[in-house]
Order: sequence, then C-alpha cells, then structure tokens
Amino acid sequence: MAIKYNGVRESKPNRVNDGYGSGKDLAEKFKGGCLKRADRSFSQGLQCQEINGMQAVVSIEDSVLIAHAPQGCTGCVSMMADGYKVGQIHRHVDHVKNPRIFVTNLDQKSVVFGGEQRLRDTVKKAVERYNPKLVFIFTSCASGIIGDDIDAISESLRSEYPDQVIVPIHCEGFKSKVCASGFDATFQAINKYILKGEKADRQENLVNLFAPTTISYRDQQEMERMLGLLGLEVNYVPFYSSYEKIKRIPQAAASTAICKVFADEFMIELEQDYGIPFSHTVMPIGLRNTDKWFMGIAKLVGKEEEAQKIIDAEHKRIEPLVEQIREKLKGKRIFICGGTGRSFAAAALVSDFGMELVGLQTPTYDADAQIDIEYLNERQKDYVVDIANMEPFEQANMLRKLKPDCFLGVPTSAHKLGIPTTHVLDGKRPTLGYDGLIYLGNKMIDQLSNPGFNRNLAAHTKLPYKDSWYEQDAFKFITAN
Amino acid sequence: MSSIVQNPRGGCVLSGISATLGAMKGFCPVFHAGPGCTMQTSAATTAANELGGVMVPCSNMLEKEVVFGGIEKLRTTVAGALEVMDAEIFVILNGCTSGVIGDDVESVANEFREKGEKVYAIDTPGFQGNTELGYEVTWNNLITQVIEKRERNEKLVNLFGLIPGLDKFYRGNLEELSRILRRLGLEVNNFFVDGQGVENVLSSSGAALNIIVHPWLFEGPAKKYEEKFGVPYIRVAGLPIGDTDTTAFVRQVAEALNLDKKLVDEVIADEQDYLYRYLEHGTGILGWKRLAVVGDSNSVIGMTRYLSNDYSLIPKLAIVTEPLFRDSDKERITERLSSLTYCDAPDIHFISDQFDIDGVIRSGKYDDVTLFLGSSNDREAASYLDTMFYEVTFPITSRFIFNKTVAGYRGALSLIEDLFSNL
Repeated sequence: MAIKYNGVRESKPNRVNDGYGSGKDLAEKFKGGCLKRADRSFSQGLQCQEINGMQAVVSIEDSVLIAHAPQGCTGCVSMMADGYKVGQIHRHVDHVKNPRIFVTNLDQKSVVFGGEQRLRDTVKKAVERYNPKLVFIFTSCASGIIGDDIDAISESLRSEYPDQVIVPIHCEGFKSKVCASGFDATFQAINKYILKGEKADRQENLVNLFAPTTISYRDQQEMERMLGLLGLEVNYVPFYSSYEKIKRIPQAAASTAICKVFADEFMIELEQDYGIPFSHTVMPIGLRNTDKWFMGIAKLVGKEEEAQKIIDAEHKRIEPLVEQIREKLKGKRIFICGGTGRSFAAAALVSDFGMELVGLQTPTYDADAQIDIEYLNERQKDYVVDIANMEPFEQANMLRKLKPDCFLGVPTSAHKLGIPTTHVLDGKRPTLGYDGLIYLGNKMIDQLSNPGFNRNLAAHTKLPYKDSWYEQDAFKFITAN
Repeated sequence: MSSIVQNPRGGCVLSGISATLGAMKGFCPVFHAGPGCTMQTSAATTAANELGGVMVPCSNMLEKEVVFGGIEKLRTTVAGALEVMDAEIFVILNGCTSGVIGDDVESVANEFREKGEKVYAIDTPGFQGNTELGYEVTWNNLITQVIEKRERNEKLVNLFGLIPGLDKFYRGNLEELSRILRRLGLEVNNFFVDGQGVENVLSSSGAALNIIVHPWLFEGPAKKYEEKFGVPYIRVAGLPIGDTDTTAFVRQVAEALNLDKKLVDEVIADEQDYLYRYLEHGTGILGWKRLAVVGDSNSVIGMTRYLSNDYSLIPKLAIVTEPLFRDSDKERITERLSSLTYCDAPDIHFISDQFDIDGVIRSGKYDDVTLFLGSSNDREAASYLDTMFYEVTFPITSRFIFNKTVAGYRGALSLIEDLFSNL
C-alpha cells in the first residue's frame, strides 16, 4: 500500500484557495491553466485541519481521542460534543455519553523538553480508564514544531498495549490552509493503522456511505432507505460507527459519500488499495444532485434500471412541488456561502427555482469546482465568485454592494445587513434527498415573506468593520503569491 | 504546571485573552497564530462575542512562516486590520506557532505605535496556561501597557472576576450586580455590558475600589492596581446569590467605601422586600432536595450557599473543577462552602478531570442527591443517579443564554424559576 498523496489539500495541482473573479472569468482561466495560486495579505481566522480531523472520529464507539497539544486545541471538539450528544438523543441512547477526549496539555516545559512522556502517560490513562479498541492521537502546531515523533511513540506503545489499535494522525494546523485536509489525514491514518491494506471477502450488496458530523439522523435514515430500495446494505461510517464497522470498509462492493469534501480522497485510496469502486460525490440535495448521487451508486452495483424507476417516481412526486416553489422564488437574487460541496450544491438548487445567483463563496477552486461552475454558467448570468475560506469581511463588503434579496449559508454577517437568511443544511433536522429541495425552498420563501428579524437587526446593530471598508474593493487584500 | 486532563472545561491562555478583549467595545484582538486558533479559542469559551471566531483578524501562519518567521505576515495583517476593523485599540496575541518559533510580536506593535496607531502586543503564547490565566494576563497587560493614572472618582468602582464565556451568565450577572451597586449611588465599570469598553478600561485607574467577585482570581492584577494607581480591592469570595450573600456583598462594599448607612439599609430593605414578595409563593416548589453542584468555584460557592442558606436544600456534594495552584485558594473556597447558616458542609472535592469527577458522582455515596447542578459534561454521570439534573456551569450546551442572571437578588428568583421548569 503506497501512499501517494500527503494529505495536504493544497499539494494537489490545480487547486486554488484564494482568489476571485466572475463565474465566466474563472471558468475560462481554469480551462486555460491560468488560474494561479494567490494569497491574502489580510485575513480573518480560518478553521484548522486538526478540528476536522477530530470531528471525523469523535463519535466512534469504543474510541478515545488524544490531542497532543495545549488545552486550547480541544476548544472546537468540546463544541462538537454537542452535535454528538444530539445525535445520540436522536438515536435514543439511554445514557448520553461525552466523547472521550484527552489533552496532553503541553505547557512551557514540554515545549522546551518535549512532550513524549506526557503522551505516553495519557495513553496509559486512557487505556486504564476505558480499555478502548481505538486510540486516536492528534498532533498540534505545538507538538509538530517541537518535533515529538508520534509515529515512533505510537509504534512502541503498540507493544505495550496489544489490545488497542493506536492511530497517530498528523494534522498540525500550520500545514494546511484547507481544514478539510484534516479529513484526509484522519482517513489516511485509518487506512494505514486499522485497515492496513488487508483485503477482505467482498459482500456484494454492501456499500460504504461516508458522512460527516453535520448530517442529521433523519438524513442518514433517508439515505439508507433509498439505498435499501436497491437492495443495498449500508455501512455508515465513520459517524456513530465503531471499530467493527470501520473494519468492514474493505468488504464493501462500492463506496459513496454524502459530502463532496469529506471522503473523496479516501475513496480514491480505497479503490487503489482494495479495488473498491466509488461514485464521484455530489451532495444529494434536490433533483439533479440526488439523481446523480443515486444513479452513481446504482451504476457501480449494476442496478441502473431499478434506480431509474425510483428516480422517475420521485420526480413525478417532487416536480409539481418544485413548480409551486419556483412561482414564488423565480428571479430572486441570491448570494451563497458554504463549504465547497454545499456552495455548489446550493447554487445548482437555486437554479432549479429560477433564482438569480449574484455571488458565491467557496473555500476551494479545482477541477471539481470547474464542472459545477460550467453547469452554473449555462444557467446563470454572470456572478461573482470569492475563493475564500469564509473571510466574513469580504462577504460583508460584497453583500453591501450586491444587495441580494436573500442569503444562503452561515448567516453571521448577512443578518445584520438586513438580508433574509437561510442555511442549506441543518445538522439536527432533515435536509437531504429529494425532499431536501422542498425543505430548502420553503425555508427561503418563509424568510423572504417574513424578514422582520433581520430587517430590525440591520437597523439596530453593526458589523465590526469601518464604514470606509464598504467603499473599497472587496478583494484588495488578495495578492499574487 | 499543567496536567493531562480528560474533557477540559475551557481553553488555553489565548482563549481567555481573546474572550476578555473581544467582549469589550473598541478592542480588536489580532492573532499571530496558525489557522484555527481564533475558532478553537472562541469555541473553548463560547463567549459569543462580536469579535470572536472567524471575525478575528489572524495571520494564519503556515509552514512557510513557521520555517522563515511570520513577522512580515503579521505586519500586513495588522495593517489590514487597521484599515478594515472598526476598533480603537488593537492587541496582537501570540499563538503556539509564533510562540515556539519566537517571533518578536512586541517589536511589530512598537512599529505601529511609533506611527501613532494604538497597537499593543500580549506575548503569552497559548501553551502558557488556561482561560482563567488569560483573563488575568489581559488585565496585567492593560495595566502595564495601556491604562494611565487618572484622577480619583470617589463614586467609581471596578467590577472584576466574571470571565466572559466561562461564566455563561456573565452578562446578566454583571447587569444585576451593577444595578445593585448603582442603587448605592455608585458608578460601575463592569467592562462587558452596558456598552462598556475602552473608556471604562482607561477610567478604571481612577476608581475608588476594585471589587473582585471570585474566590481566587485576579490577585495579581488587583495588587498592580493598588501599587500603580492606588486602587484598593475587596474580594467577594463566591458569586453572591440570594438575600444572605447579596446583602453581605452590599455591606462589604458599603464598609470599604464608607457609604451612608441609612441609604444602604434602605436599599437592602427594599431589595429584600422585592425578593420575598416573590419567594413567599415559591415554598416547596422544588420539593425538599438534596443538592450536588459541580463546576467553577465561583458558581459552586454561589449556588451551594444560596440554595442551602436561603432555600433550605441540603448540600451533599460540591466539586470545584478549575485547576487551583495555591493551597490558600482551596482553603478559602472550603471555608466558604463550609460556613453555612444552618447546614453541615457538603463533601468538597477539587477535581478537573472528567473521569475522576464521574467517579465521585457515581461512587454510590451520592445516590440520595435529588437535585444535581453541573455542566453538560456532568450529565452523563448524573444520568445514572435518580436525580433531576440542570446545566448551570460551563460548558452549557443545552441552553441558550442572553442576559439571564443567577446573581444578586433578581438572579435568586430566575434560578428557582429555571430549576422548577426543569423538574
């Protein structure tokens, strides 16, 4: 098993994380190989890959998570504990559990003298307390720079704790601007230390369904129901899964994922190492995307005919509803901000509603994004694309100038500018599948018809930017690298 | 000094600094740190500040900066922040990354100050401590770098001790404590509510008294205020909740400032009247419970004392969860939890590690506890006891809190309301 990719997303050629342009410009530049890497001379805080790395495995049964880090690096995973607990409540767990998160709590002394002993002591404690099947060890900026060799330490711990699988994960924040690199780092470690390249007997009706934490239980059930209609059994990993479910991954006949940025790199590895084919991921929301997602997996298992029947029936059910929504949303100008997968999924959706896309923020632009942009360019007039991992100051500037009728995405800026806001996903409620289109459409109609809260907020609150900022070029801090 | 911990309550020193600065109007933290630190620190305290998370300017140091130094990236970040962010004072904070490689953040702050910009640096990288320390470090730095001596205002007091986010009720609590102090004719710098910020920080050196509402925090900064500006301090060792402790709080302040006795007596009598006109309808609405409280020392003292002294619940267990490094602090906390009007002291533990906390809760010794107050971390262990459970200490993930107070006279009422709603 050779690892060909280092887990850092920007190391892939033709992938850009900073930049801007109109949809048409970017598509042309990318086609001509002229879309170059850029940088920002001023920026707001990003999300680091350690957050995503921990998030990927936080809900796995019989596991402990060890952050080889100062205490602060468990900030976000403490908050993820909330999502994990809500997920347990939805799954009717009796005694809702905390995730078992340890921090080695590197301090001044360990920064000078190394943190190896702390890590060994932490693993010892974790094993004594929970006798877990899996011990995930995450690096941090601090442990990375001081040079603690977690691979070597893990190797020697393996002989000490033969009943545990010890999985070191290299996810130092400073290594990547793209937090999704943390997913890759974690999956690579899962492959290397849990699956270990060992091929398993194929179970012909088994598919791996990779899903991130933001997917609600209702959505999981809906995806499982749909795949069940094709006679498929779903191995839902890694959320709310277990060591045993992870070990089953190589038995699957095919893989698919719910989120574009979550497991695509891992599925490539699974194909290379275990011969498991995968369907190219689109986030299954709405007609086009759900068709594509469903047919993608059906093709892999030779069930196209069955799938087409289901798709036809669903279209018959959904299309009249879409038409009703279209009546109300047609021509409304919309701005979209989200992760790469969500942004484009949402942009495609609003096109189905006849809405006019005026702006889009996406953390990454690559060959995948190009496919989506080309699709959008056929359906939309020109629109602004900001290649940004959030950067709310740029967003606020664009929103003030573009004055969209509504906003889709994380609403922390748009609501104070008085724009009706909704989000494409809701980790606690159903949003996916064919019905996802209807949920989303209705949510937007609701907000457009009743925008009082945001309108009032705009009258009485202010974003933390100077007034002069709104008069400047939103992209003035984007610099050629 | 730090130790390995399971499910820590709070974040690194940086989280305390940025929560404190971000909660004050006119301040803008600028992180010189790896990507992720602004989010991790905000999530760690869930302070819900205007300037938290992805809103905070950050140099987002990558491998290049780690290898070659990140000073140039910091320069352009500060320059951009000055152009974009609407703030008066900008404070550069050091993440682990810049701390380990040793970027000289103070020299960058100096460069900008020489150009007339109000840019300062707090050179305390994340690995140097926890959120509580961050609150103290912020004030230490404001005192040495930003605050200048002002003329004494005999009516002005500064209120310290409630850490934004780590006390989930800090806004409501500050509002209530300020309300009471204002009734005594005082002006109050609480720094985080009533639109307060830079001007209050600057005027704090002219205050007649520093009031620390916390059993151990802020000793260092309080001494600095005393030495540099001649502001004396009193310590209110535990959040005052309900008649007994809030009245004692009022009398402690009145004595320190030598306030008019008649006015003080009138205010107390009036507040008591207000409180008891409601409490008289609250007899036994919670049943007659045996109580356990788990969380930060300020809340554990406040809630244990209130519900025991004023509401006749029987305290069985108190677990103080923040790490404490001085024996004298533990003794002070123990004394406060033991000196109850009628009751015997509960069992008192000092534990930060969740596994050990769970172990005490499920030890079998506390199966008779019927009202359990703690954090969302403690819900799991409490679910094995036949008890009602309510989240009142950090972290709280099952409630959303704007301005709810659990302090003072008014907070005594809202706490009982909440507890009943959760029966």
